Order: sequence, then C-alpha cells, then structure tokens
Amino acid sequence: MESAQIGERVAKILEPYVKDTDAFAKRSDTTKILDDLKVNSARLVDVILAFEDEFDIEIADEDVDDVETLGDCVRLIAARLS
Amino acid sequence: MSETQVALVTGAGRGIGAACARALGAEGFQVAVHYRGSAAAAEEVAAKLPDAFAIGADLADSEAVEGLVAELKERCGRVDVLVNNAGVNKNALVASMKLEDYDAVAGLTRGTWYLTKLVLRRFMLRQKSGRIINLSSVVGHTGNPGQSAYTMAKAGLDAFTKSLSQELAGRPILVNSVAPGFIETDMTAELPEAAREAILARVPLGRMGTPEEVADAVRWLATGASYVQGSVLHVNGGLFGG
Repeated sequence: MESAQIGERVAKILEPYVKDTDAFAKRSDTTKILDDLKVNSARLVDVILAFEDEFDIEIADEDVDDVETLGDCVRLIAARLS
Repeated sequence: MSETQVALVTGAGRGIGAACARALGAEGFQVAVHYRGSAAAAEEVAAKLPDAFAIGADLADSEAVEGLVAELKERCGRVDVLVNNAGVNKNALVASMKLEDYDAVAGLTRGTWYLTKLVLRRFMLRQKSGRIINLSSVVGHTGNPGQSAYTMAKAGLDAFTKSLSQELAGRPILVNSVAPGFIETDMTAELPEAAREAILARVPLGRMGTPEEVADAVRWLATGASYVQGSVLHVNGGLFGG
C-alpha cells in the first residue's frame, strides 16, 4: 500500500478526535497529533485500536511511544504491513 | 442476553471465585473458569455450567497471561466481564517475612494489572462495553497484623479500581471492587477457634459470610448496577462500612 493511501486512511481515523480543525486542514507529515491537532491523549488508545482494525495489524505499546506526528503513524503502519 | 456474553473469573476453582463462576453461569454467561493449580476443581466447576470451560495460567507469568488472553480470543472472541478474584496470601509479621513471600503476593497484583490491560485492549475497548470487578478485602481498609503484603495488595487493588474507572471516563466500561469481610472459605476454615471467635465478636451480623453472598454482589455489578463506577462494595456483615 502506498504511503499516501495510508495517510488518507490515518487522517480519516483521526478526524473525529481532532480539536483543531484548522491544523487538520493544513496537515502534513510533520503535524503533531497531540500538540497541533489537539487530540486528547486519553483517546490515543482508540486511535491505535482503530489503526489495528483498519489495517489488520498489531501495534505494540513500545511502538506507540515513538509516534508523535502523522508521518510517524504512516511509517509505523507501513512497517507493520510489510 | 441476545448474544452469549463471556465472563472470565480468575482463581475460580474454589471458594469465592467458584461461587462467582456459578452465579455468572446462572445469569447466562459463558464462564471461563480460570485456575493456576486447582485444575480438577476448576474442571468440576465448569462441568456444571453451560458452555463453561476451565482455563489454566499462572498470572504471575506475563507470557502465560498473554497465552490466556490469546486462548480466550480464539475460543470466545470476546470478554464481557472480568472478575479479578485470584489472590495469594502469605501471612507473616513484617520483621520476619521473607522477601520471596512478599514477591509472590506482589507478583499476582502485577499479573492482575496485566490481565486487565490485555482484556481492555483486546476486547472491552473494541466492544465498547464491559464490566471489571476486582475482589479486594476488608483488610485492605482496616489493616491486619501479619498480613502486610496482602493488605497492601488489596488496598492497591481498590486504588486500581478508582484510577481505572477515571481513565475510562466517557466509556461504557464499569470498574468496581467487591471487598469481602470474613467469609467461610478454605482460608478461614484454618483459623484457630479463638481467632474465629474474636473475629465474629467484631461482626454485627454475628457470623461469617458465604462465598455465595459475595458472588451475589459480583453478579449485581456484572449484570445491573449501571450507575455504579469506581466504587468499593463492602460485603462484610457490618464489620466495616467504608
């Protein structure tokens, strides 16, 4: 799967949790999920579960620690898919 | 229940755990009767409940906990109720207690935390529903000489109930504790008569409770109690009110 396709599906999953819609509209690979999009950290687990279900992968807790930006999400998912 | 719901009861081969398994089985749950060492007893409990099965794992072993959850996923595909009943009790005064005995008690607490985490992650958060019921103890609130490790573990379990219920704010997953007082189990059967009389003198109802009376509280938290969250339900004949 292409990174762009993964990115679109990641954005779709994240959208309901985004509080800063302007930042979401201008998003890029370096957009930070918590700091820029203002996603509530308590909802991150829902996002991770949605990633797992959407892409049929398993994401380890240790991997989540390294996820800060949208690009990090795409790279993590691409790595699991491969 | 329109779809068969699944309840996992840890330490369910005997005593309070077995009573909880029977109570939930009577409510229509498919019960996973967990055991560590009491395989025959757990099989016996499961054999008398519809669709129930015994499932073994040492909860102090994280790989065994992961195996337990994987087996539940394979076998049932869901867990709706988790009753964290399994416990280890090592009695000794602090000054003479062995570190390894403390570790045995603390290790089970760690395993309970890990099992709860995995049940949440694999089942309840995805199902967007669930009930978690932690079996603590009155002595976690009152203290008890000779039970420092056990009382720490049980007090910690109630704190876990409160923290987790707050973490789950906004989600329909309820977490509560049931704190039994002195209950007629294998553990209390070994008490010397004088100790037994001293305990009963402090219980307003004048008798020990039964495992079924504790299980009744667990059944209520598992099937009703829709506005009860982060609470400790004391079942102790009036010994302690919280």
